[in-house]
Amino acid sequence: MRVELQAELDALEAGFQEAGEIVVRSIRGVIDALRTQDVELCDEVIAFDDEVDERYRAIEKQVELVLARQTPVASDLRLVLAILHSALHVERMGDQCVTIAKLTKLSSHLGTQQAVVEGLVDMGERCAEMVKVSLTAFANRDVAQARGLHGLDELVDRANRQVFSEVLGYVHDAEALEWGMRQITAARCFERIGDNAVDIGEQTAFLVTGEFAEFTDASDDLRSLE
Amino acid sequence: MTQMEAPRIDSGRIAEVSHGLDRSEVESRERVFSVSDLSVAYSGNVALEGVQLHVHKNTVTAFIGPSGCGKSTFIRCFNRMNDLIPGAKVTGSVLYHGEDLYSRDVDPVEIRRRIGMVFQKPNPFPKSIYDNVAFGPRVLGMKGSLDERVESALRQAALWDEVKDRLKEGALGLSGGQQQRLCIARALAVEPDVILMDEPASALDPISTTRIEDLMHHLKREYTIIIVTHNMQQAARVADMTAFFSVLVDEDGSGRRGILVEYDATTKIFTTPSDKRTEDYVTGRFG
Repeated sequence: MRVELQAELDALEAGFQEAGEIVVRSIRGVIDALRTQDVELCDEVIAFDDEVDERYRAIEKQVELVLARQTPVASDLRLVLAILHSALHVERMGDQCVTIAKLTKLSSHLGTQQAVVEGLVDMGERCAEMVKVSLTAFANRDVAQARGLHGLDELVDRANRQVFSEVLGYVHDAEALEWGMRQITAARCFERIGDNAVDIGEQTAFLVTGEFAEFTDASDDLRSLE
Repeated sequence: MTQMEAPRIDSGRIAEVSHGLDRSEVESRERVFSVSDLSVAYSGNVALEGVQLHVHKNTVTAFIGPSGCGKSTFIRCFNRMNDLIPGAKVTGSVLYHGEDLYSRDVDPVEIRRRIGMVFQKPNPFPKSIYDNVAFGPRVLGMKGSLDERVESALRQAALWDEVKDRLKEGALGLSGGQQQRLCIARALAVEPDVILMDEPASALDPISTTRIEDLMHHLKREYTIIIVTHNMQQAARVADMTAFFSVLVDEDGSGRRGILVEYDATTKIFTTPSDKRTEDYVTGRFG
């Protein structure tokens, strides 16, 4: 039994779960900032991203050391690779939260449209849920649960399309349209967070089965934009 | 301005060298050995039981497993080295290019010429570098220039440049890594078809080990190589196919015998082995 290797893998996985929990806090923060149009909270979310980045860099460093010193193979190697990929997805989710927070700040001087804000909050809630599901599925090596993320992502995509349609209605109101355009970009960021959660689900499937397969193909991605 | 010449890269070869062959590529090659239901016993004690596998031409096949799993016993079946051990009994069949290696009319000496062997510890003769390599061809009365044969074997073993100016000096003056490559040259000089290597780098430093491993990649273009190794990373680096052997202990603890657990493409064995015992061994969770 390689006690040292197992201890390092356990630490790595704990670090990944922690990074995931931290990014869920970012998502929650940005949802609240949207709901209340709170510019200060936006700044806090932006600053908080340093925490996410720090966790990612720590994981990257740990992965480098485990690979160099322990040369893991088979399921151990898959675990290290899956954590490295998944941690990068988590780090990107953090970046999306920063973009949403910045967009919210930028459009704060313009009047908000309740229907769109509600749509964005709905997307954010669904994303936070997806991230939690992706982390649990990873921890439990639960491929069925990981695959379920694809279904959840479709709901996020649907909400994204609704936001888009709503903003199209502002075409005769210049100020509302400017605000709306920024919200479309924010919605796109949530949509990406959902995709990243699906990506983590794909890493879980790789970890368990040894085969990497995307849960959706490119044509699905096209449909999600329609 | 001088134009840099673009390096010519044979991507197919790079793929072969760095990733090994996949299973279908290996299996499409001619079968050199077909082993079926092979068991070996020493004075009635079963050392290895029920082994079945094929070894294909121009590939490197590695045998890995814990001590006592029978991998060295197994590699010795391929050139009838077990014949030399009193009380050893081999049952089942080993076909070499379709011919039964253990048939009465097969000459073990001829077998050992065509199936050369390199051992764990370099074992050069206490003679000159030249005589070590020339020994086999001389004894066999092989035709053609002896000098050319010696040079060619030393070149193939990547030793020529280091020894060409001191061929008459004693082989025991060479470093361990050089001695091992000399033993490989000695095996190559009699123009074998297969080279068996039993832990060929276990007594060598990392640089010499790398040389031997590079040599294996190079030699498999002309020869079929079978290697026993304790070093799993070495198997991962050099072998196209890997066989994992384990020890089966009788329920009452009275007997232990080696068995073949899993035989597959090396990449499969080290990324997604099918058998839990293989996974436990390659990841270091064995026992």
